[in-house]
Amino acid sequence: MKLKSIGLQVSIAALALAAFATGARAADNECVGKVPTIRVIAQPILTIPFLDKNKGEFETKWNTKVDIQQFGENERRAKSRLDASQGAGAYQVYYIDEANVAEFATNKWVLPLLDLMPKEWDWNDFLEGRRAVATYKDVAYFAPFEGGGDVMMYRKDLLAAKGLQPPKNLDELKKVVAALNDPPNVYGWSERGRRGSGMNVWRWTPFFRGMGGQWFSGDKPTFNSDIGVKATQYYLDLLKFAPPGSGTNTWSEVIEGFRGGQVALIVESDVFGPWAEDKTKSRIAGKVGYAPPPEPLPSAGFAHGFAISTKGNPTDCSKTVAADFVAWSTSKDMEARKVKAGILSDFARKSTLENPDFKAQVNPDYIKALLDTAPKTDLLIWKSPLWPEVGDDLGLQLEEVLTGSQTDIKQALDDAADQASEAIKRAAGQ
Amino acid sequence: MNAANPRAEPFGKLWSHVGFARLALGPPLALLVLMSLPPTIGALLLAFRNVSLMSPGSRWVGFANFARMLTDRRLHNALRISLVWEVVTVAGAVAVAVLLGVLIFETVKGRARDVICLALILPILLPRVSAGLIWRFMYSPLMGIMKYPLQLVGVPPVEYLSQPGTALYAVAVVDIWQWGLFFAVIMLKLLETLPASPLEAARLDYASTWGVHWFVSLPMLRPALITMLFVKAVESLRSFDLIYTMTNGGPGIATETLDLYAYQTGIGMSGRISYAAAMSVLLLILSTLAFSVLWKRSQRWSE
Repeated sequence: MKLKSIGLQVSIAALALAAFATGARAADNECVGKVPTIRVIAQPILTIPFLDKNKGEFETKWNTKVDIQQFGENERRAKSRLDASQGAGAYQVYYIDEANVAEFATNKWVLPLLDLMPKEWDWNDFLEGRRAVATYKDVAYFAPFEGGGDVMMYRKDLLAAKGLQPPKNLDELKKVVAALNDPPNVYGWSERGRRGSGMNVWRWTPFFRGMGGQWFSGDKPTFNSDIGVKATQYYLDLLKFAPPGSGTNTWSEVIEGFRGGQVALIVESDVFGPWAEDKTKSRIAGKVGYAPPPEPLPSAGFAHGFAISTKGNPTDCSKTVAADFVAWSTSKDMEARKVKAGILSDFARKSTLENPDFKAQVNPDYIKALLDTAPKTDLLIWKSPLWPEVGDDLGLQLEEVLTGSQTDIKQALDDAADQASEAIKRAAGQ
Repeated sequence: MNAANPRAEPFGKLWSHVGFARLALGPPLALLVLMSLPPTIGALLLAFRNVSLMSPGSRWVGFANFARMLTDRRLHNALRISLVWEVVTVAGAVAVAVLLGVLIFETVKGRARDVICLALILPILLPRVSAGLIWRFMYSPLMGIMKYPLQLVGVPPVEYLSQPGTALYAVAVVDIWQWGLFFAVIMLKLLETLPASPLEAARLDYASTWGVHWFVSLPMLRPALITMLFVKAVESLRSFDLIYTMTNGGPGIATETLDLYAYQTGIGMSGRISYAAAMSVLLLILSTLAFSVLWKRSQRWSE
């Protein structure tokens, strides 16, 4: 009797231990049909419609409906934050990026990723840069499906016609874009002006960091230093060679201006390289040259991907199905299928770079520029839960400078620094 | 019975009128109170705390959020922009409605008038977000069609939405395009309902066409015009989606109205829900006060 009781206790303990060892992931076959719907919040990059088109196979596997809801970048960030912070749990999978991973991880709004992923999903196959961005305090929180750094894209034909070489440093950059500027036929340059941590701040930051700027010294903001002013002045000067209206440009207007043939040279996120080569949408396909950004500009590393909501997945089965969706949508197989479908901008895995289909479709100059830029690619923003607010306040001040409603650069940066100090104080007082 | 008590019938009638009014108005009013009280109380409670979407937990902070408003440059700007927006869009829409309504009434007859009315109603049927996106593209200095008329006379493209001086008015044009044209149709239909004799009498006295309308038909339509003004004033307070789609409050803060600023603060990047709630309370108080005063005045204008 006693032996039986000890045996029972050991069995229960073993079961409990086994359950603990496998984390919250339930056995797959137990969860088929147990989760009626998973909702995914996303923003419309090329990967998302592709997943939406192919989600039927996932739905059949789990007998679960997948509802992918798409919003613009800022709306997506705001909506997912609202859902997470209020504990609404309306979404099981969040679309996350470099700007909000710290915030979501610190507040435990997303679950550590690797505990929940299926065994065959290979985390180490992701490019180091993507993994670094998806990780906060040594824990991975999202599975990237897109990312990269910066690259300089220029019209080879226009440079050749003027006998110019691609600029190697910031002095040359100004001279080259001035020489290429021939409005209204073609403008020398274009840049993001619209406010936002992922908009004008994202493109201004390499100038600021490249000139030696640092965000903070302890808790004191230092982006309003002389270097901050110098970087802003340089960014403002370049705007003279940009098309009218560029003071409020989003990345989309920059790219459309470039591939519409109205802009001669840009420094932008490298994912847009294949956009310029898309013959169905680009007037300049085959005429584009690629190179690392001029010295001393570093390359702004970023990554976008899917994370598993904490509140949105109250049951083990919900966690399992959500995790499997993340695994399915970021698998090696999915990346290979995207490449086959001609989606060449959204990749995150090393295996994709080795994929013969990828190599056959992508301009070799572009791949060379990616490899040459890789050593100077880093996460340049302030990695803090407060970044979205600090970055957005700074973005507003920059937009005022770029559109002329604020002519005193130092004052604009001081205002942003004051707001950052206040945000830090407020966060400390909570 | 009635002969014995002559007061009974009027009192009975009065009671029955009051009773019917209570019966008719009671349920909708109760529903209105039920629907509007919880969010109002919720906003008030939030406004006195320091709730943030960035972090869990909050505490009571008294009037700190309201005190902060006194020194908030962006809030002062938002109040000014909201006021300008109200004045420009309300005055613009009603002016367009009156001018266009009278013009069509005087110059177009028969079936052509119906076709024009149909065309004028189309803009209001467009969702605000769609209208905003279409016009944003039309205003584009690089690709938009608005650059062509200027190009013909050698004027360089205008950055309608990127210049702090023009952006608010460029967005207001879209609002007036939607509402002014719709109101023009209403105006036209109102003019058609007026008796012909006063207008004919004025014409016999050699009044000009515009004189006839300025001195005769518009005064006759005063109550309807005042209602139109009120409807547009309330509607203009809810232009968040149009401004958000076209400029997102920019360039800088040149088109940032109070509701847009509250959204940016509370739901946007900052996540400062309590401060945003305090702004909403301010907006509620200001609009209630303004509309109460205007309503009182309008009763005098209507007499």
